[in-house]
Amino acid sequence: MTFTSLLPLVLYVAAAAAYFVHFSRPDPRGGRLATALLGGAVLAHTFLIGMQTVEAGYAPLVGTTAAVSAFVWLLGLAYLYVELTTDERAMGVFVTVLLAALMILPALNPETEARPALLRSPLFTVHVLAMLFAYASFALAFVLGITYVLLFKEIKAKHLGFFYTRLPSLQTLDKMNGRAIIVGWVFLSAGLLIGGVWASQIGGSTDPRAQAMGIADPKILFALLSWGTYTFALFARRTIGWSGRRAAWLSAIAFVIVLLNLVPVGYFLTRSHNF
Amino acid sequence: MRLFAVGISHRSAPVELRECVDFARQGVEPALAALAERKAAHEVVVLSTCNRAEIYAAADSDGASDRLGRFIGEYHGIPWERLAPHVVVYRGQEAADHLFRVAAGLDSLVVGEPQILGQVKEAYAKASGAKATGALTNRLFTTAFSVGKRVRTETGLGEGAVSVSYAAIALAKKIFGDFKKLNVLILGAGEMAKLTGEHLRAQGVHQLTISSRTFETADTLAGSLGGTAVRWTSVDEALATADIVVTATGATEAVLTRGRVEEAMRRRRDRPLFVIDIAVPRDVEAEVGRLDQVFLYNIDDLQAIVNENLSRRASEVQRADGIVREEVARFAAWMQSREVLPTVIALRTRFEAIRQSELKRLEPKMAALPPDARARVDEITHLIVEKLLLTPTEQLKSTGDEALAVAYADALNRLFSLTSGRREPEADE
Repeated sequence: MTFTSLLPLVLYVAAAAAYFVHFSRPDPRGGRLATALLGGAVLAHTFLIGMQTVEAGYAPLVGTTAAVSAFVWLLGLAYLYVELTTDERAMGVFVTVLLAALMILPALNPETEARPALLRSPLFTVHVLAMLFAYASFALAFVLGITYVLLFKEIKAKHLGFFYTRLPSLQTLDKMNGRAIIVGWVFLSAGLLIGGVWASQIGGSTDPRAQAMGIADPKILFALLSWGTYTFALFARRTIGWSGRRAAWLSAIAFVIVLLNLVPVGYFLTRSHNF
Repeated sequence: MRLFAVGISHRSAPVELRECVDFARQGVEPALAALAERKAAHEVVVLSTCNRAEIYAAADSDGASDRLGRFIGEYHGIPWERLAPHVVVYRGQEAADHLFRVAAGLDSLVVGEPQILGQVKEAYAKASGAKATGALTNRLFTTAFSVGKRVRTETGLGEGAVSVSYAAIALAKKIFGDFKKLNVLILGAGEMAKLTGEHLRAQGVHQLTISSRTFETADTLAGSLGGTAVRWTSVDEALATADIVVTATGATEAVLTRGRVEEAMRRRRDRPLFVIDIAVPRDVEAEVGRLDQVFLYNIDDLQAIVNENLSRRASEVQRADGIVREEVARFAAWMQSREVLPTVIALRTRFEAIRQSELKRLEPKMAALPPDARARVDEITHLIVEKLLLTPTEQLKSTGDEALAVAYADALNRLFSLTSGRREPEADE
């Protein structure tokens, strides 16, 4: 464990703490500090990933730990983009807690894993990046969904308090949730498609992992399951009017599938993606 | 020059009297002109709102407060005996404290209400336009504006709706975000329906639809509000497209039943519906609130929000008080330094005169000295005078207590027989 590999985690934790303080006691200076800390964390993380790339000579996307690290980085960037364009910091506390928690994994195991011959294809890099960006988008949708439900409950119960004063309107949360799911769905579809093409290319390999590529593998099964859930969410919103609370719950449940796939399935269950 | 605030407010006078004392009725300009004509004070600002009529003034003598009080009565044709018990006079620092509290919304009937700061600004602008203000009132009012702004941004004193209609509008904003695309349906065409309609129209809703059992009354109200009227039998269709429904009918039993709203929700594909029931007895079945995506608030619910906001504001009063105290102290220090400034100048002039006369007296003895030694003598004597005066000057300027500062100045005037006395304060701005 080195300073460079630990610094992003420390900064993510600091940012989470700052967002928490800002959320419980909103004031503009605290908000700017939180954003600055998160910006610093993403910057330090960018530096770490850059170093790893230079050292290894390839993008550090091999193995679940590296994938989690890249996911955290992409989600940090995506959230900062949303915050800067909407000037809305209330979601920061939820996002940064997720970032800090997930960043523990790469911080504990900062070694860049050797790249097997199987993964020496540009398709692999594009596949991983597309999947991770989709997951980052879904993470934002998840946070928006949770905050929607919290605010919805307060208004419905006529008990206006904590979230009522801190969150944007239900309509805004719902719209942003819908957009995040569309963006995520496009990247997820592309990522799955590219993954499929790549898997068929390596089909002749004797590597057991290449042999295990198939619908029966938990990693692939879960990915398809999440695609199915998000496709349903899009369809339900457009045609049967599942917006608002139902859409919020759906995006929360779907992201649980994504998160299960990213961490436990990636580490323990898959036989095709255990690089 | 002293500061005064003289007048009546909702705290000191009953509404019958406040109604009579209203400078704003004919505009405050004639009042300012009348005050100037009488030479009631050097500087005046007239603040007149529905809940207060006050004159802020800077004058030389203490008698000004009495003159200003009587002026208020005479100007409105109210006998002094009737007015006098209700007139409140603030002097010096107290006047600043009072104005800052007024500007901060601390003295308002509804604590923290936002209009008052604008009214204070307008009062000052009018007085300034009539050239009735001066150095003291200029500083007083600009400080008051910044107190008002600080309280607004640094405390939660003005936060949360404190009237039922604003509470409803704030809720609608939290649900829908933006009023521009909203369709509003109002059931009932009475006074409450009209008031709510006016509020909602002011928010810029997309469409206002009104329905009532008698189509004609709905049509009349729709005409005056710029909306459209629909027949009582077509309410179901209107429900399907509305985002906000306001019910204010005189009906004795529920107009919107669970079944009826359930059907409407199906037709509107479960888009959120905000139902505001301001009728007593209620127009909407309580069961309606259990439907998913329906937010039902009745008059008691809204009143509860208002009460909660009021108590939250009350807890912010202390923080606002702190800001007012801080600014009053700063303003008082500034007034103090202005008051003692003539004494300070006179004292310095006196010391310098002594130095010059002594130098002149010693001139023959120093004639033999080389020029640079003479220059040194001049420099040393100057430094001695400066050093001697440094501490007394600082003490004089920083005395927190107004009476003490005056006593100090008085003592200095006598001890050093300073003749200049007090200057006209306007001269130094």
